[in-house]
Amino acid sequence: MNLPKRIRIKGWQDAVEQMQSYALEDLYAFFLAYESQNSEIPLDLLIQKMEHRLSTMKTSIHNGLKKPNITDSGWINGGAFHMKQFTEKGHSLLGKDFSMMVSKILAVSELNACMGRIVAAPTAGSCGVLPGVLLSVAEKKHYRDHDLVKALFVAGGIGEVISIRASLSGSNHGCQAEVGSASAMTAGALVYLSGGDHEQIESAAAFALKNILGLVCDPVAGRVEIPCIKRNVMGGCNALACAEMSLSGIKTLIPLDEVIDTMATIGDTLPCTLKETSLGGLAVSPSGKKMKLQTKLPRKE
Amino acid sequence: MSLFDVVGPIMIGPSSSHTAGAAKIGLLARNIFHHPLKRVSIVLYNSFADTGPGHGTLQAIVGGLLGFSMEDERIPQSLELAKQQSIAIDFSFLDDPEKHPNYVTILFDKDSASCFSVSGVSVGGGHAKIVEINDNKVEFSGRHDLLILQYRDICGMVALVGKLLARHHVNIAYMQISRDAVEEKALAVLKLDAPVPSIVLNELENKPEIYSAVAVPRWKEEEL
Ligand code: SF4
Repeated sequence: MNLPKRIRIKGWQDAVEQMQSYALEDLYAFFLAYESQNSEIPLDLLIQKMEHRLSTMKTSIHNGLKKPNITDSGWINGGAFHMKQFTEKGHSLLGKDFSMMVSKILAVSELNACMGRIVAAPTAGSCGVLPGVLLSVAEKKHYRDHDLVKALFVAGGIGEVISIRASLSGSNHGCQAEVGSASAMTAGALVYLSGGDHEQIESAAAFALKNILGLVCDPVAGRVEIPCIKRNVMGGCNALACAEMSLSGIKTLIPLDEVIDTMATIGDTLPCTLKETSLGGLAVSPSGKKMKLQTKLPRKE
Repeated sequence: MSLFDVVGPIMIGPSSSHTAGAAKIGLLARNIFHHPLKRVSIVLYNSFADTGPGHGTLQAIVGGLLGFSMEDERIPQSLELAKQQSIAIDFSFLDDPEKHPNYVTILFDKDSASCFSVSGVSVGGGHAKIVEINDNKVEFSGRHDLLILQYRDICGMVALVGKLLARHHVNIAYMQISRDAVEEKALAVLKLDAPVPSIVLNELENKPEIYSAVAVPRWKEEEL
């Protein structure tokens, strides 16, 4: 069937219905067509562009792990590197794969905090979740780049739906919109990669977002360090668990669209002190306040 | 939104609004000013002033001014690199509730006759807009090829430029004009469907009524 000049979607359900009505093979094919029609860029160029995103993600993991990452505040002090050493010494609680995944998520998030080069997914603050988990699973299961690129389009599609019905920014809807979205995107991408169908992808993404509903954005001293970096790890572990639950056949009873709408409603009701202003939450804990004083901010004229 | 805004952009951290968007403003300002840099004063407002220094905003803007894209790994060293190139840079930090939270004014050669200013806002996700050039309100994000003209405000100027571009098959997508009645000066920003041919630029520069004609290339995303 011929595709329309522009493809507009209202949400997840709508995307699935349009995928079926255009007889597109899967969600990857749909979101690729969606991007191509709307941007007027040919398919092969879009795939190349996503391949470049993927290779940048790989480099960011490599760079984030090669030496201790230390931010100028000193609050982030080589966490990913220590976690990797700890794992290599065999101290893992649940095995090397899991611990290495944690260190990879930390690596990318820390690299971001140290002004390294990363791929925002969906934001810079939440950039560790998708590459850390996706590339850990890919390594373990020997997935090819070709498949990972497809999974990234599915992840992008999930994020797109969230941005249409709600938003992807902490200043609009709190951290649920950043780390929560990253986690939902990752869970869906993992299920796609493992051969799950669109219903299983939806369930995984819905689980992941449900679990993070209500999470506030409260970075200490306004820096993308505390609690952001560890929240990436939480989002990544959550994504892995939700993907596995869905692959095992557990289904969401609340559709993804409704979970996203709920996130928007919760986000709208959150006070603005908990939306990236650093006027609430951990940012105003006694230690958070003290840390803010330590960071030398310029004096206003 | 594009899926590449969801999985992307590729950028230097830590913040898409305070780092990536800031670098983009710097680079657009560089292209608009279009002269070698000697003295640059950077005035950060509101959230840019409050949390910019913790987010590499200063390095990002200066990196952009040096011609770096938002994913260029030289951004963290941009202040030293500027110093090596003997560019004098100073910063100030202000509050202005009337302005966008992430607002910056970049003044080139301040306190001289040739002072030139560009202001931009970073709107999130690595996107940014230029909102002011030399006190003229403008609005563009660099998605088009641009032609920016400063000229003596006389009748028929727009027609002349339009005709010249048409003769070289360049279509005008959109145009903004703002005028200073007292000084009889006008500034026009033309958004085009194709780059400005250099012979058009030469012809424009040779007209005495035109003080400056600058072509700003369309914003290119990262190299593939
Ligand atoms: S706490 Fe706020 S700044 Fe940090 S990752 Fe979450 S949304 Fe982003």
